Amino acid sequence: MFRNYLKIAWRNLHRSKAYALINITGLSAGMAVAMLIGLWIWDEVSYNKYHQHYDRIVQIMRQATFQGVTGTGQAVPIPLADYLRTHYGSDFKSVVTSSWTLENIIAAGDNKLTSTGIYMEPQAPEMLSLQMLEGSRKTALQDVNTILLSASLARSLFGGQPATGKIVKLNNKTDVRVSGVYADIPHNSSFSDLAFIAPFSQYLATSGDWAKHAVTDWNEYSFQMFAELNPQVDAQKVSGKIQSVIKDNSADESNPMLLLHPMRKWKLYSEFQNGINTGGDIRFVWLFGLIGVFVLLLGCINFMNLSTARAARRAREVGIRKAIGSAKEQLVGQFLSESLLVVAIGFCIALLLTMLFLPWFNNVADKQIALPWGSVSFWLLCAGFMLVTGVLAGSYPAFYLSAFQPVKVLKGTFRAGRFAAMPRKVLVIVQFAVSVILIIGTVIIFQQIQYTKHRAIGYSRDGLITIPMNTPDLFGHYDALQKDLQATGMVENMAESSSPTTQLFSRGGENMKWRGKREEEKILFGNIACTHDFGATIGWQILAGRDFSREYATDSSAMILNASAATVMGLKDPVGEKIQWGKHQYTVIGVVKDLLMESPFATAMPTVFRLNYDWANVITVKIKPGRDNRAALDKIAAVFKKYNPGSPFNYKFNDQEYGKKFMAEERIGKLAGCFAILAILISCLGIFGLASFTAEQRIKEIGVRKVLGATVLSIWALLSGDFLKLVFIAFLLAAPAAYYGMQHWLQQYEYRTPIHWWIFMATGGAALGITLTVVSYQAIKAAVINPVKSLRTE
Amino acid sequence: MIQLRHISKHYPVGFGKNEILKDVDLTIFEGEFVSIMGPSGSGKSTLLHILGLLEEPSSGDYLFEGELVNKMNEKKRTQLHRGSIGFVFQAYHLIDELTVYENIETPLLYKNIPGAERKSRVADVLDRFNMVAKKDLFPNQLSGGQQQLVGIARAIVAEPRVILADEPTGNLHSDQARVIMQLFKHLNETDKITIIQVTHSEQNAAFGHRVIEIRDGKIQ
Ligand SMILES: Nc1ncnc2c1ncn2[C@@H]1O[C@H](COP(=O)(O)OP(=O)(O)OP(=O)(O)O)[C@@H](O)[C@H]1O
Ligand SMILES: [Mg+2]
Repeated sequence: MFRNYLKIAWRNLHRSKAYALINITGLSAGMAVAMLIGLWIWDEVSYNKYHQHYDRIVQIMRQATFQGVTGTGQAVPIPLADYLRTHYGSDFKSVVTSSWTLENIIAAGDNKLTSTGIYMEPQAPEMLSLQMLEGSRKTALQDVNTILLSASLARSLFGGQPATGKIVKLNNKTDVRVSGVYADIPHNSSFSDLAFIAPFSQYLATSGDWAKHAVTDWNEYSFQMFAELNPQVDAQKVSGKIQSVIKDNSADESNPMLLLHPMRKWKLYSEFQNGINTGGDIRFVWLFGLIGVFVLLLGCINFMNLSTARAARRAREVGIRKAIGSAKEQLVGQFLSESLLVVAIGFCIALLLTMLFLPWFNNVADKQIALPWGSVSFWLLCAGFMLVTGVLAGSYPAFYLSAFQPVKVLKGTFRAGRFAAMPRKVLVIVQFAVSVILIIGTVIIFQQIQYTKHRAIGYSRDGLITIPMNTPDLFGHYDALQKDLQATGMVENMAESSSPTTQLFSRGGENMKWRGKREEEKILFGNIACTHDFGATIGWQILAGRDFSREYATDSSAMILNASAATVMGLKDPVGEKIQWGKHQYTVIGVVKDLLMESPFATAMPTVFRLNYDWANVITVKIKPGRDNRAALDKIAAVFKKYNPGSPFNYKFNDQEYGKKFMAEERIGKLAGCFAILAILISCLGIFGLASFTAEQRIKEIGVRKVLGATVLSIWALLSGDFLKLVFIAFLLAAPAAYYGMQHWLQQYEYRTPIHWWIFMATGGAALGITLTVVSYQAIKAAVINPVKSLRTE
Repeated sequence: MIQLRHISKHYPVGFGKNEILKDVDLTIFEGEFVSIMGPSGSGKSTLLHILGLLEEPSSGDYLFEGELVNKMNEKKRTQLHRGSIGFVFQAYHLIDELTVYENIETPLLYKNIPGAERKSRVADVLDRFNMVAKKDLFPNQLSGGQQQLVGIARAIVAEPRVILADEPTGNLHSDQARVIMQLFKHLNETDKITIIQVTHSEQNAAFGHRVIEIRDGKIQ
């Protein structure tokens, strides 16, 4: 029986190739999108599962409240670790204090590389269940002067040779012995960028006096802390137990509260708002999941519409089959197996498309997803996916067709009633509404990006490069370095600072005092140390007062505020005001326009700038306008080679770093854009099919009308008008939905584009235009047929 | 075997209704060979459709083997279509996408007849109708008469208890028509199959046991 069904299905496909093509194209495009999104979601939800203790690993987070607003961050103090071990030993299997992930220079002989690594306490390899290729997890980080390398770093340093026991030099100062090699941590882990792990004790030993103090300072929030809970321990409960540990041990007025953030939430629930875990990337899982389902639905709708539109052709068969003994369920089965056949063909093409587009998709989505050919569950999921799609696409036509009454269709009195086309119209409206929403959404995303890219950033990014000062060699010859750089003729200026212009490394100042400050006011400021040339190098804009100057010796206790700081401090005329910060008193000498150092979508943080030649993390160099970058960089590199011979010359263009802040948005925009284009394509295929069907169905009517004197134009209008009406209704429904949705999406940005009405007009116009083009082909084809011909075929 | 009591049928036309069958009483016994005759438009096909459970009467009772058809559910009706009733349509009604062979085979598929038996039965019928050479052709590759033969073959292949044939020989040469009638007679006599046919031809009607005249929706 089933074979008989498939035979008919196959012959039907074969006979009406155009319909088959439309159905299969739409379905395979929809399925390919659904599969890509499915793979992406799979990757997202299995993030960090590489680590065996995934369920028990937590990060210890700290909340601090300023001005009634609670922020949640990862920075915690060192003494916390020992305290947790001694007082909550039954809850924690291990507590691992860790540095931030840092760029380091690592050298094996003359082979010098810049690589990201982290310094962690000895239990880290066990906790993260690193797969050791050399050495042992337990002992690898026990000695101070050791280091664990990732397989790829070991390969780059030593070729294929075993690395254990070899000596490498870190940051041009410390010789350390390789104690083991671990398999690279996969891309979908929070620790995937670690090229090495070194002992935390080494970090402390090489970081100077500051680090020595930090060991006992409960308020030195400069470290991260991870922990593995004992089995059967409830993270939520432990979180409650330990929340006030810092408060109990120190006098921090920001009301520090601790909480445990479980590993399974790191990726998708990483955002906290006012102390509450509000979600994060999970939004995108839902958003893209929804888009995937909808695009798939669009393909299914084509199938439904074309099948029911052509019902008359199948109705006779239904009647005959019923008369010779087919039960209704068997007919349903038959039509479902037909849709399954189409879906199966579509699936094979979709799989091919997925394979083809996966590299592109990985690139856009910043993923390393591979199709899991060998996995049984993958194939089971695929089978399930086909079944669901087949039923989704096929059940409506199947029930519609199998419900025909035999005698009506056999006597030829079967005529689609006035409302038979209604569901089809509704489905077309759904298709275009979805497409229009996707298009408007995409346009607004890109508009938000463009709008923000044009935002004034308070300085000039042109020609700025940032060089990290991660070796001791770069310190102590500021003037000579500056002179040599300028002597190349390529460099306009150079400065050092504690943060690059595209990041804010340090905050503080909640205890600063100034005239008119209310006692209970606690404001957190961005805190930047820089050299005299900083302002001139980056081209900041002085709003009041003056820049730092070497002509004033007193500038060592001078302070420059950004405009936001002046505003929040409530200083009408800040220049000349005295500010008490700890033991020091500073005088405000100037106010600069807000520099956009962090998210370009957020308002700038109130920030203070002070002179300090010792607290420098980066060098910023401005290349002279009009100079060729390549040539300039060669010259600059040569200068750095002189002062910092032990390190490769590393630099970043501030422009590019700033651009990276738009990556997440651009990624969403690109993906949404592709899906929107596919959606509109699939929908157009659908109405193309429907239009050709209507034209075919009304061929006699058209013939009669033409005989009665209708012009080609009026017939074209007659046939196209119906579809235009539907698309217009779809637009009317989609526009408010898109407006509402995008309004909501924009809420997450403090700096956001207004939603312009012309976007809606343009999208609506485009949708109507495309529809008209697609439909006109069929309409005109039908309109120019010689009426005598079409009438005689009856 | 078949009993109609006060059967009438009307179609809505405009605001009124068009009575096709008026208070028809009819009894047909097992093993009968009955011919229905009457002018065009008198309601013969409608009556046959009602007998074949393809159409519902507007009022009245229809008993098939003593069972009230009006009360039967869809499943039961399907069972009758599979096992008991073979229908030959005035307009042939073959499935265009299937070959001659497959068209004839389909009722057997619905009856869940095993493959080997199916093959031999279809071969048998093809042979009987001299259509072996045409078995792989599609309906649109056949003449009207040939299609009609396939329709008859399809109706008898499942060995139903009743064959309802609506002008089965309307498109056939009189020689061929006689062959079909002889086949019906043979089925009726040896296999005890009840046969009800609609025909315009006195000669064909003569093959049966009795003739029912229908005029203006009434049995004469
Ligand atoms: N669905 C319908 N709606 C309205 N009237 C119908 C319908 N079906 C049949 N009729 C009418 O019922 C009458 C009887 O039709 P029927 O097909 O039973 O005639 P018939 O006796 O088989 O004629 P013929 O010998 O030409 O086949 C006809 O007048 C026809 O117009
Ligand atoms: Mg008739």
